Amino acid sequence: MSDDPDRSRGGRRGSIFWRRIEELADSPDLLERARREFPSFAALAEGSVDRRRFLQLTAASMALMGLTACGLEVAPRDRQPYVEQPAGIVPGRWRYFATATALQGYGTGVLVKHEMGRPLKIEGNPDHPASLGATSAIGQASILELYNPFRADTLTREEAIAPWSAFTTAVSERRQRLLASRGRGLALLTGTVTSPTLLAQIGELRRDYPQLDWYQWEAIDREPARAGARLVYGRPVDLLPDFGRADVILAVESDFLESAPGHLRFARDFASRRRAVEVKARMSRLYALESTPTLAGAKADHRLALTPVAIEAAMRRLAGMLGAGPADWSHGADPQAKALDAIAADLRRAQGRALVHVGAAQTATVHALAAAINHALGAYGQTLSLIEPVAPPPQAGAALSDLTDAIAHGSVDTLIILADNPVYAAPADLEFARALRTVPFSVYLGEYADETAEAVHWHVPRAHEYEAWSDVRAFDGTISIQQPQMLPRGERHSAHELLALLSGQISADGRAIVREHWQTRAQEAAIPDFDSYWMEALRIGIVRDTAARPIEVQPRADLARSLEPAGGAAVRADELTALFRPDIYLWDGRFADNGWLQEMGRPFTRLTWDNAVLLSPRTARRLGLDTADRVEVELGGRRVQAPVWVLPGQADDCVTLPLGYGRRRTGPVGEGVGFNAFELRTRAMLWQGQGAVLRKLDGRYELAVIQHEGRTLGRDLVREGTLAEFLKNPEFLHYGPAAESLYPRYPYPGIAWGMSINLDACIGCHACVTACQAENNSPVVGKTEVWRNREMHWLRIDRYYEGPLENPALVFQPVPCMQCENAPCEVVCPVHATVHDSQGVNVMVYNRCVGTRFCSNNCPYKVRRFNFFDYTASDPRPRESWNPEVTVRARGVMEKCTYCVQRTRIAMIAADRDDRRIRDGEVVTACQQACPTEAIVFGDQNDPQSAVARRKASPLDYAMLGELNTRPRTTYEALIRNPNPALGDEEEGGHA
Amino acid sequence: MTAIFSRRANLFVQIGLALLVLGAVCFLLLIWGVPLMNYNDQVSFTPRQPVPFSHKHHVSGLGIDCRYCHDSVEYASNAGMPPTETCMTCHSQVWTNAAILQPVRQSLAEHKPLRWRAVYTLPDYVFFDHSIHIAKGVGCTECHGPIGDMPLTYKATTLYMSWCLACHRNPAPHLRPRNAVFDPHWHRTAATPSGQQLMALYHIHPQTLTDCSVCHR
Repeated sequence: MSDDPDRSRGGRRGSIFWRRIEELADSPDLLERARREFPSFAALAEGSVDRRRFLQLTAASMALMGLTACGLEVAPRDRQPYVEQPAGIVPGRWRYFATATALQGYGTGVLVKHEMGRPLKIEGNPDHPASLGATSAIGQASILELYNPFRADTLTREEAIAPWSAFTTAVSERRQRLLASRGRGLALLTGTVTSPTLLAQIGELRRDYPQLDWYQWEAIDREPARAGARLVYGRPVDLLPDFGRADVILAVESDFLESAPGHLRFARDFASRRRAVEVKARMSRLYALESTPTLAGAKADHRLALTPVAIEAAMRRLAGMLGAGPADWSHGADPQAKALDAIAADLRRAQGRALVHVGAAQTATVHALAAAINHALGAYGQTLSLIEPVAPPPQAGAALSDLTDAIAHGSVDTLIILADNPVYAAPADLEFARALRTVPFSVYLGEYADETAEAVHWHVPRAHEYEAWSDVRAFDGTISIQQPQMLPRGERHSAHELLALLSGQISADGRAIVREHWQTRAQEAAIPDFDSYWMEALRIGIVRDTAARPIEVQPRADLARSLEPAGGAAVRADELTALFRPDIYLWDGRFADNGWLQEMGRPFTRLTWDNAVLLSPRTARRLGLDTADRVEVELGGRRVQAPVWVLPGQADDCVTLPLGYGRRRTGPVGEGVGFNAFELRTRAMLWQGQGAVLRKLDGRYELAVIQHEGRTLGRDLVREGTLAEFLKNPEFLHYGPAAESLYPRYPYPGIAWGMSINLDACIGCHACVTACQAENNSPVVGKTEVWRNREMHWLRIDRYYEGPLENPALVFQPVPCMQCENAPCEVVCPVHATVHDSQGVNVMVYNRCVGTRFCSNNCPYKVRRFNFFDYTASDPRPRESWNPEVTVRARGVMEKCTYCVQRTRIAMIAADRDDRRIRDGEVVTACQQACPTEAIVFGDQNDPQSAVARRKASPLDYAMLGELNTRPRTTYEALIRNPNPALGDEEEGGHA
Repeated sequence: MTAIFSRRANLFVQIGLALLVLGAVCFLLLIWGVPLMNYNDQVSFTPRQPVPFSHKHHVSGLGIDCRYCHDSVEYASNAGMPPTETCMTCHSQVWTNAAILQPVRQSLAEHKPLRWRAVYTLPDYVFFDHSIHIAKGVGCTECHGPIGDMPLTYKATTLYMSWCLACHRNPAPHLRPRNAVFDPHWHRTAATPSGQQLMALYHIHPQTLTDCSVCHR
């Protein structure tokens, strides 16, 4: 093993990858930690456990070891067959039911995997346009949410448990009064609504109560995009970008890979033009302008880290150059002028095949500028189409602030809240909680007994999406009917049932409401056989032909004039720009009680169980701050205390405040985790605001990070190059010593399972990690244990930086067990607990494992996980929610990725039963199934026609640490970037 | 000078040594003997059931096929326990008032499942699949013993891993033609294809059958 990077990379000059800032700085502390692979052993080495105590513990554990063998091997059990077996239920067989999940009001189709009537796993619905078979991390974790025992299930009146009848009586009385006053004083607060049934119900309510006021509010809304569309077209429209058709893409702090409605679809389309071996010269090029790192920025070929003010200036310059605005916009000094000129030239070259996409957090002006540029580039009808807004835009005067004003004027006496937790997430200057407490009659439909539930009179527990009937529209307008996967526990109800109650239907049933709505629609559309129409919609998960049709809208002629620079206030040097951004997993805080999402390392910071204010290295140095320092953030006179995280790639003078943490009331998992950035967020600064001041406090904060010690030490874990190099010589990354051995290779004549991971396609979204956790019964270990490096994910996504500290390029590399043919773990196991099977999978026999952890010590990839505690026994989730096809591990055993051995075995049994060869694609691993970009391919590598064999035949295929001669079955396809030659020579990796 | 040890000290030492040896012998006998008793493996143990169901009567006497009640055995991992309504297909017509069938009628009337005591239970880390064994010509009686002649069902085999492996290492003697899989009284005859022939016919490769991942996931 060489420490000289050049030598081990086959003499190729290349970029040195690093993972943490300290690595670049060659900090002696880090080197020391890197030397010891397991920092947690330090306590032993430093003598905090003395020799006598150590021997005592050893003797005691030896003596007690025998006791575990006592007793009957298997406790006797009962078998309880059905009285009447429901049709289609076969014990030991999976069934799938289609439904959809909604976030920000937009739906994503899913298939829920059931065994014996129990929903157990979420998969994407291949027929749904927003999923195409993929899921997000949040989608995967929704099953844990369903089983969360801490979701509210009792109706409360002023926080005391009340019977349902008391609530219906109270509502009926209200109803009589409201009917008499034609609904005066009745207000309804919802989130973004796309559900046709709910919209119809609100319309019905309006008939009963003509003076009903309907307010809409979503903590993380898409209002800037709507406002941008209003600027351009004079009315709101929705954009449908097609990333598969775009040759050159400009992403302006774009959320198209992480959270925009339809992001799974966008990621699939984007990746279809990025797998270099497949698309060759057709590979698209992605530019990113952003203030805080996004997944799109991480995949960009060129990325500029700019403050929001600079982003607007850059967009204006681009508009000027591309003829979308006055030409004089393109003059003037700009430190990024060279890069912007090159981007503009590239966009212009790709006329008709270019696309500008703007994230939800940008201002309306930036959205409008992007629309103007897209028009100038001829993107409409090519890479972009317009549709009528999927979610009806809120009327003027229907914002949350209007509601607070109305309450202050005393004109609201009955308030029904269907929106998610406004007390926690409303702009701080609204003081919504105080206003809410003055409303004479308030009802909140919420999943948890949260901050809003304690401020209202009646808290009705909301049924989970998998517990209730509803319908929802996707980003492109496609409607899905959401069907419950289990009956709601306790007194949980859906929004439909609550509104029906308000319409005077005392015992309304969600199914009847949704079905009746669709029956009416079917009659209007003259559909003859409603039952089969309805059943088909439920079965395939979408209602056919409901996608919105593209519309023709012309931009306003005086567009450019309306976008004149406003000439905002000058920014003071000592003040920072605060950026409010949703957490990628907890979103606006609604998923805070989900242990899987809390423990998922954030793609950039790798933080778990906490949020931190993000600062660029230069700004942190200027302020004398370092990672894990505690600071007080002041913005507009409001203060919060938070830890600092120094994040390369963050724009200078910008401080990102991740939302969604610091929940005061939710379940026990999410309470008190992190700091609440909503306390600083005001109406004027929903996304960004000037004037943040950071003051250093004493002490340091313990941040739990999914990080593995160790520099890369010159080992080329990630191979990468440029498209130009690849086109010149496809084999250019094919180097390194051929693996040779004195021993003959072990033959695998039958099936040889293998996996290939395409680094071009991986966007670092962590859907695969969550899917793995769901499939393989991986426990949640908690912050302290993560801090001790004891997280239990079988699959991790390593994040490497490359290039300059201020604006590095990023690489995401998923690392499951490599299933080495020459597995280093196997030779050191004293009890043969880890051995190979005939398909070449390195299997783990939990019952043999005695927990020496030698295997983990000897694993060069560090993918083995050890159960230090009986995590599963202390897990509050109900037993029936674990995957019955996978052993639930006990304390003291090692575990790791098995290529989803349960899935391969079930498929092999099915094939063997029919006496046929297993088909390619018949086994899909959990990570592969969830992946939106098809980065992971799995199959029989002995079959030359299989997808995995074809991927492994790629000239870019390489084995990580292949020089160790481990012969891993998981190999990677090297990362190919497509930098603009006009910018490429400037700096390493082409990053400006 | 007085003696440190009394006169009887030797005796105590001798008794002590004898007890030690005896103890060691008993311990060894225990280790050797306990597995021979059927306490651990529960073989031939007949659990008390809510209804004294007789496989002998139903299978050998009436000739009902195994699959009439265990209907998913050919295509699912779980053979399937019959729902109450399966019992009632016949017992709504015959033995309608028999006292021993009262729990079955009660189950149907109250819509509460019958609670059968499991005779065969595998640990949670073993994933057994009935369907593949049926498809490969392993008869029911290979594991369930003379089930067709059991008035009350008892456990016929140990289900020890060594017992599983004996067959997985050498399946030939345990195979039969597919049409005889459900025959509780099947015997190998001169006309029966040999075990080796059946292995070739079923594409059984014993060298892959002892992989850990065949049963453990």
